[in-house]
Amino acid sequence: MAYLDINNVVKRYEGHTALDGVSMQVEQGCIYGLLGPNGAGKSTLIRIINRILAADEGTVTLNGKAMTDDDIAHIGYLPEERGLYKKMKVGDHIVYLGRLKGMTKADAVASMHWWLDRFNLKEWENKKVENLSKGMQQKVQFIGTVIHRPPLLIFDEPFSGFDPVNAEQLKAEILALRDQGSTILFSTHNMASVEEVCQQITLLNHSHVVLTGSVDEVKQQHKKNIIAVQTPDTIAANPDLFTLLPPDPVKKADTRIKLAAGVQVRDAINWLNEHYFLTGFSEVLPSMNEIFIETVKSKNVENNE
Amino acid sequence: MNKLRLIIAREYMSIVGRKSFIFMTLGMPLLFLLIMAVPVGLAYLNDKGSDTQQIAVIDETGRYAAALHSDDMYSFVAIKGDTVTNAREFYNKANGSLDAIIIIPRNVDSTGVVNIFSEGTITPALVSTIRNAITDTIESAHLAEMGIPNIQQMIDNAHVDVDVRSIKWSEEGEQESSTAASMGLGFMLSLIIYMFVLMYGAMIMNSVIEEKTNRIVEVVVSSCRPFQLMLGKIIGVGLVGLTQMAIWIVLLAVVGMVAGSALGIGNVSPEAVSPEALAKAQDLGAMQVIMNQVMSINYLPIICYFLLYFIGGYLLYSSLFAGLGSAVDQPSDSSQFTTPVILIMLIAFYAGMVCMENPTGPTAVWCSIIPFTSPVVMMVRLPFDVPTWQLMLSLALLFSTALAITWLAARIYRRGILHYGQKASFKDLFKWIK
Repeated sequence: MAYLDINNVVKRYEGHTALDGVSMQVEQGCIYGLLGPNGAGKSTLIRIINRILAADEGTVTLNGKAMTDDDIAHIGYLPEERGLYKKMKVGDHIVYLGRLKGMTKADAVASMHWWLDRFNLKEWENKKVENLSKGMQQKVQFIGTVIHRPPLLIFDEPFSGFDPVNAEQLKAEILALRDQGSTILFSTHNMASVEEVCQQITLLNHSHVVLTGSVDEVKQQHKKNIIAVQTPDTIAANPDLFTLLPPDPVKKADTRIKLAAGVQVRDAINWLNEHYFLTGFSEVLPSMNEIFIETVKSKNVENNE
Repeated sequence: MNKLRLIIAREYMSIVGRKSFIFMTLGMPLLFLLIMAVPVGLAYLNDKGSDTQQIAVIDETGRYAAALHSDDMYSFVAIKGDTVTNAREFYNKANGSLDAIIIIPRNVDSTGVVNIFSEGTITPALVSTIRNAITDTIESAHLAEMGIPNIQQMIDNAHVDVDVRSIKWSEEGEQESSTAASMGLGFMLSLIIYMFVLMYGAMIMNSVIEEKTNRIVEVVVSSCRPFQLMLGKIIGVGLVGLTQMAIWIVLLAVVGMVAGSALGIGNVSPEAVSPEALAKAQDLGAMQVIMNQVMSINYLPIICYFLLYFIGGYLLYSSLFAGLGSAVDQPSDSSQFTTPVILIMLIAFYAGMVCMENPTGPTAVWCSIIPFTSPVVMMVRLPFDVPTWQLMLSLALLFSTALAITWLAARIYRRGILHYGQKASFKDLFKWIK
């Protein structure tokens, strides 16, 4: 059984249904991407997992057991709408968040020192939060999320508000936490980061799951049998094997061909190799961004019909 | 429970640790002193600073001008031989050096009418000065006309000021109680509750809104239940209020002790005062009599009830404020929700004022039982012995309503803290409660 198992969850508000029979299985130790356009129901689902909201129907089990209020001690949650008490001292603040999650004072203080050291924020321990730069506040926020070493981490748009350098550091920390055994649920619409860190994804749209699986699987499912061929020659179309596509707007040097139905990559490449001088070729897999947009758009069309 | 304690401690420290708290706590008594001192000082400056008014006195009888004594404010100058017809001319001739002319007509003894003429405004103070002086003189003159020797002395001897002392029969025997002292105490207690509830209610609301605008609230409620956060806030801020009150009581006690020893009345014992003892007390200073009356009030039950009503009223209104505060994003948007609450408080306060005159009237009884007004109004009645059943009913209603409101507020709060953007209306609040 999956570590975090969300089974047929329904959440209704006055006038609309935010989640309509959503199921999702998150395996232990993976980084799981929860994707979807704004208003798809991601935040509602995350809040249900955090027990901030209660589901109207369906179950959420953690480690095989139905979740209770005590389980929130095992979750670290970085909400999209996040902030800190501006007047509190950095150290006190982190310890407060740790103790709210059930740590003892001594543990929280020790962990706070370790993390501040790791993020080079040691000399800020006794400064008020309001005196920190935006980037430093984000780091403090991150420390507050992970201080109690939770086995399940939930990040809602973690990289928003980070500059590229800090985002890179944050990504490294998230991967390190995964390697130490934490399971990470990652909600975002930044598709580049999804491809870099996530193994599994679920795409929500209009309160439903519209796509789920491993990143590789999803890409294979959505591939359009396009091959980028590097050659100095000008290739002519061969309707039995492939058609020519207009060049990629970014990598103009490549010639892009679309295989005819049922044609294997090998056959097309063999034929090309016999007739032209090939320097290289690669299968073009759609980016997560393309899959996201394509899926969301097609579902919206369906819904409108 | 542990989390609740953490939240309470954080909330408490976040306010008590502020410089503004220390400033407020020490500044408020000073502000009160200032508010009391300023009118007195201003009146003094007003009298002191104004020029002496020149007033001509045309005394047609020739007997009463001497009764008007000149002082710093008025300089009376008697003018002889003039008549009413040229008074205006006389005033004009003076070219503004005269402020007014008083004419005491020949028939003043029978009519009792004196006129003042002026182009400027005649102040109430001047009118009363003249009235008192002339009345006294005419009275003495009338008495003298009766031809009875030593009549003034006889009247003085016959004169009494009846002092009504209220003595209450209670289990401990006879106790002198003072209506004035009870009224003063009642007013003070109701004012304290009114001010604290408003002040600390506003503080809680700001604290709720601040957590929302800071966006910390979702981080916190992912670690505890929203109800714990709200309750922790209410208790934490309430403890701040009690701390502030304790500091003031200590300050008051210190000031009282210093003042008491300075006046030499520190040793008054609050024992039962029998009429015989009262007779003896006649020759004690008036100050001591008042002190005795203040001391004679039975404070222990009053303090206990005060604390109960303070807690109940505070819980009722602060949870209302917390619930309403959670529905808005910015303090400036809160007025649509707070106005009705403040209005109810104001009604309670006015009801309290009315009940001071008649603490057992129907308005007083009803308003001291209805939960929203009872914390303020009952304070006014408390020093006047409220029937136990009324106290119990009122307290039971207050606490059950407070708990019900806290429950409702928690339901609004739970939804409100995660509600951003579009301004919530009262309709939304009702939906959230469901």
